[in-house]
Amino acid sequence: MLIFPETRFDFCGDEYIYAEISKDMRIESNFKAISITNELRNRDIPGMIEIYPGNASYLIRYDPNEISPYHLLDYLQEIDQQKSDRSELNFSSRIIEIPVWYNDTITEKTMKKYQHLQPEAGGDDFTFVMKANGFTDKDAFISAHSSTPYFITSLGFKPGTAWGFPLGVRNDKVIQAPKYKSPRAYTPGEAVGVGGAFTVVYPTESTGSYQLIGLSAVPVYDPGQSLSVFHDSFFLAKPGDLWKYRPITEAEFYNIREEVKKRTYEYKIKPVQFSVEQYDEKGTTYISQLMEGF
Amino acid sequence: MLHILEPGLKSTIQDAGRFGFYHMGVPPAGAADKYSFLLGNVLLGNPRHYAGLEMMMKGPVIEFQKKTVIVLTGAPADATLNGEKLPLWQPAAVSPGDVLAVGNIREGVFTYLAVSGGLATPEMLGSRSACFASGFTGVLGRMLLKGDFLPLNEPLPGVLRQVGKRVPEEALPAFSRELDLHLVLGITSDRISDEGLTGLLNKEWTIHTQSNRVAYRLHGGRVRYVKEDAPFGSGNSPGNIVDIPYPIGGVIVPNEEELIILLNDGTGGGGFVTTGTVISTDLSLLAQAKPQSKVRFHAVTVDQAFQLRREQEQLIEKVKSMIQQA
Repeated sequence: MLIFPETRFDFCGDEYIYAEISKDMRIESNFKAISITNELRNRDIPGMIEIYPGNASYLIRYDPNEISPYHLLDYLQEIDQQKSDRSELNFSSRIIEIPVWYNDTITEKTMKKYQHLQPEAGGDDFTFVMKANGFTDKDAFISAHSSTPYFITSLGFKPGTAWGFPLGVRNDKVIQAPKYKSPRAYTPGEAVGVGGAFTVVYPTESTGSYQLIGLSAVPVYDPGQSLSVFHDSFFLAKPGDLWKYRPITEAEFYNIREEVKKRTYEYKIKPVQFSVEQYDEKGTTYISQLMEGF
Repeated sequence: MLHILEPGLKSTIQDAGRFGFYHMGVPPAGAADKYSFLLGNVLLGNPRHYAGLEMMMKGPVIEFQKKTVIVLTGAPADATLNGEKLPLWQPAAVSPGDVLAVGNIREGVFTYLAVSGGLATPEMLGSRSACFASGFTGVLGRMLLKGDFLPLNEPLPGVLRQVGKRVPEEALPAFSRELDLHLVLGITSDRISDEGLTGLLNKEWTIHTQSNRVAYRLHGGRVRYVKEDAPFGSGNSPGNIVDIPYPIGGVIVPNEEELIILLNDGTGGGGFVTTGTVISTDLSLLAQAKPQSKVRFHAVTVDQAFQLRREQEQLIEKVKSMIQQA
């Protein structure tokens, strides 16, 4: 049974309130963060400028000329109480397939170039992460990473970067990796990285400190809105969505890239209603049920 | 139109910022020294958010192709209009063919050009501010280039009356190489030891040359973490936390010898211990501090932070009432 920790609130300077649900990563903290921030967005309160769900926390930016910070704090505490009831936590989510060329030769070039930043990995992040998680067989590792959907817990870092946390996996089985101690100056766009307990797809070329394990064939950010899935939003990810990684070969990778280029690629998407109560009660059975026909 | 004859070192279009998309990883962007920028708009009777130019270290040369009123604010610069010295903080009328040259910026980092009616360049996600991290096209994603033409809106009613007026002395910001910054402690400061907090507050910090609109980096003191295991999901170093949304102004401690303070192009979230937030009024001062400037931190309560904010707001209102007089 999910137990929701008590949220700790903190004023940050004169424009923000930070709400820490838990210090450690717990999926229930994230369910609560998304649910509260969705609710706040719907209420459309004057003076609230940014509503930002985090992995186990959330952040509000407000205009103190428009809303009293102390009134706002009271208000947040009230909503926080209400959203500590699991039957209140439901999301309109989408399951989205992300085809990934694991252990690819493109991110390999990047790792080799920056291997001086973490000599212990020998320029091969994939094998480093695989071994750190107790795997000796590449296919077994890929299968472990791609068999369960990742819950999109929050976005940040660069436009469209989404953190994903695996659903239905015991903490000691979650694939984890340390971050580079000094970040790379370059990461290829669409690279798939693991840092802490999270997997991300880098939306564009950027700096980065997550271990690279593959390359997505499809974009996750498109300000030019060239593909139909981006017509309503530049960002593929939405907190509360589920991303399912599907291993593909190099040949398939280039076929999909070609379709993306021709703007004919259609993402595989299934809309679902995600119920925290059902997830709590049925666990992996509930996930299989959601994934049915996908 | 503004015709960019020379682009300067790093000139960009900025307004008051892009809001509502920070949770998707889009930084607010907007003028780095918001106070000087706002005063520019206030001096022309523009709404506060109207877009203008932000010029860094060395300004551009611009030919005007419209009759309008402009004002320069921010860091002191050697500016001329048609070869004659043009003072900052004082609206001036310009006609087609007039050439503005903003030379070297002597103290401080950013000088601002505001134009009556504002720039009419394209908007993205509700703002005209350029942001290099966002992958936007055209002037929304890059600095100005030689040969750019930037469209202008029509000047606003009554703006000619502002020509020659001056900002009262008391409202002018100071540009110094020694700064006192106020911060409200908190966020994950429980991961900093008592000794670490002393190191933060009692030592003088130096702004590193690797500082930009994304963040300023500081060295000089030492902030020790508490000795305890990093929480599940954070990675495994004592400076790691489960990634949080960072506030702009957040004081991040990525290792015990460095501070990172996020500015308006700051990346939305990350997984390093964060020990507090610099108050919004002081972020303008910080943005204007040249590399190698010295910084001292002062912890304030949130009530003190609101008080300092109100004092600045009153100064802006004072300028506004001066402008609105007949």
